[in-house]
Amino acid sequence: MRRGIASGTWILWVAGMAAAVAWALPLVWMVSTSVKPPGQVLTPTVEWLPRTVTIENYVKVMQKPVVHWLINSTIVTAASTAVSLTTGAMAGYALARLNFPGRNALFFLVLAVLIIPTEMTIVPLFIGVLKIGLVNSYLALMVPSLASAFSVYLFRNFFLSMPRELEDAAAIDGASRFRTFWTVALPVARPAVIAGGILLSTNYWNAFLWPLLVIFRDEMKTLPVGMAGFTPGTGVGQSTQLGGYAPAMAAMTILTLPSVLVFLFLQRQFIEGATSAGIKG
Amino acid sequence: MARKVTALGPARAAPVGGRPFSLAGLRRATWHGERIDWTAYLFVLPFFLPFLVVTLGAALFGFYVSFTDWGIIGAPHWIGVKNYVRAFTDPWVWKTWSNTLRYGLLVVPATTLAALAMALFVNLRWRGYTFARAAFYAPNVVSVTVIGLVWVWMLDTQFGLVNQYLGRFGVPDVPWLTNPKWVLYGIGMASVWWDAGFSMVVLLAGLQDIPHELRETAAIDGANRLQTLVHVILPLLRPALSLVVTLLIIGTLRVFSQIYIMTNGGPAGASASVIHYVYEIGFSKYQLGYAGAISVMLFVTILVLTVIQLRVFREKTF
Repeated sequence: MRRGIASGTWILWVAGMAAAVAWALPLVWMVSTSVKPPGQVLTPTVEWLPRTVTIENYVKVMQKPVVHWLINSTIVTAASTAVSLTTGAMAGYALARLNFPGRNALFFLVLAVLIIPTEMTIVPLFIGVLKIGLVNSYLALMVPSLASAFSVYLFRNFFLSMPRELEDAAAIDGASRFRTFWTVALPVARPAVIAGGILLSTNYWNAFLWPLLVIFRDEMKTLPVGMAGFTPGTGVGQSTQLGGYAPAMAAMTILTLPSVLVFLFLQRQFIEGATSAGIKG
Repeated sequence: MARKVTALGPARAAPVGGRPFSLAGLRRATWHGERIDWTAYLFVLPFFLPFLVVTLGAALFGFYVSFTDWGIIGAPHWIGVKNYVRAFTDPWVWKTWSNTLRYGLLVVPATTLAALAMALFVNLRWRGYTFARAAFYAPNVVSVTVIGLVWVWMLDTQFGLVNQYLGRFGVPDVPWLTNPKWVLYGIGMASVWWDAGFSMVVLLAGLQDIPHELRETAAIDGANRLQTLVHVILPLLRPALSLVVTLLIIGTLRVFSQIYIMTNGGPAGASASVIHYVYEIGFSKYQLGYAGAISVMLFVTILVLTVIQLRVFREKTF
């Protein structure tokens, strides 16, 4: 009896771990392909270890304005995240803590508007950005950050569960509301800032459809949209066809590295952030 | 919301004399029996002003545009429901909706089952579970460009990893992305790989809410692992499961980026989704009015699903 359970457990463990390894394999295969000379990529049998290691694919990728795209992505992601977190923390704080007419109505509005999918707003937003003449600009890329109800949610919940005593002490000292928020509440909200920051910046870093629409100039593209030009054959209109899978995988490795590294270092915060996002909206 | 704003606080000697909206009066005004924090409006303004413009304002504007013949230049002309009539008679609308639904029928169950298996395994917390959790979740943090291009390579008919390994079991090469019959399966595989990790995390949170005693009681009662799973865990996991399913349904209805990158809707439109069609119509042909009408139809569908989901989850979520 006992033996049976033990061997069942053993099989289950092996199966689970094998699945986990298999799940990671496409990324391993990507890196492996990216360092192969193009002539050794299309092999009749699977070669996990490259026969020769080369950086020529990376050199090829760097001929495109990859550094520009990287800078664009970094600036837009940082600015968007900062905007979402700041406005979200302030609004969330007011909704959780301050007493004012319209508070419930505003929160209800956030919930109601959340139902509107981005697809509904993408055509009109595009028209708006076009008419104002914002296309090909960082500001256009940052438009989605204005609609991040998630951040308001996150901070409202956090501040609701924060003990009031801290702020009361500050109020007795005669600090203004804004000062209390800035020097007392916000520092305590660090976990929310970190979880929200990680989740939002991953989303902004990976955004695809919106940057694809509002950027026409090559050097203003973000990294994911720019790198999509390396598609080796099947589709994309603006395909650059830089010579097959090896350079494409080099480009993808460059694109993957920052996200995966940050993820591995901040795994717990990632998963907590995703949990709160999944459950709360 | 039925409560009234009292413009005057506990009146002291009422020195302002009959002018209820004096500054001092406002300062002492109460709501819900407490003083009103007028600074609150400064706190909410930076968020709500832009937020309402880019969500509610844009949605209303989009609704208006769907009744016009707007191209990219010139002024919009009101043409009534012509765009909607056109949509119902446009074979591409039917084709893209049917593609999207068939894609959803593949991807939603596959992702749910994969995520459930992952969550149950990780939740056992056996040796190596943190590695497993990281491996399952990792694709979710990666850009869709990577998902698309890596899977174009994985699914290459002759040299792709998938067909190479299937070939060892005697399966002939499957034209995953180049044959209309297979293309949704090919894209679906990439989507499951991308998305399952996120659903797993939601399910894990649900699993952790299940009290341990329940499982132990079941074990004492002589239930084996499978019986505990079916009779104790799955019923209790239902809220998390239906949340995952709803999120996935909504997600598949709006699928675009993988398709754009992997096949651009091909071959012969066999993988074009609704949003892909909106993209073609609106942003390649610049028929913004017509594109708007198709988005509105998608919006109504998603709205109905979301309202159903909110009803089901009302007490749990808010």
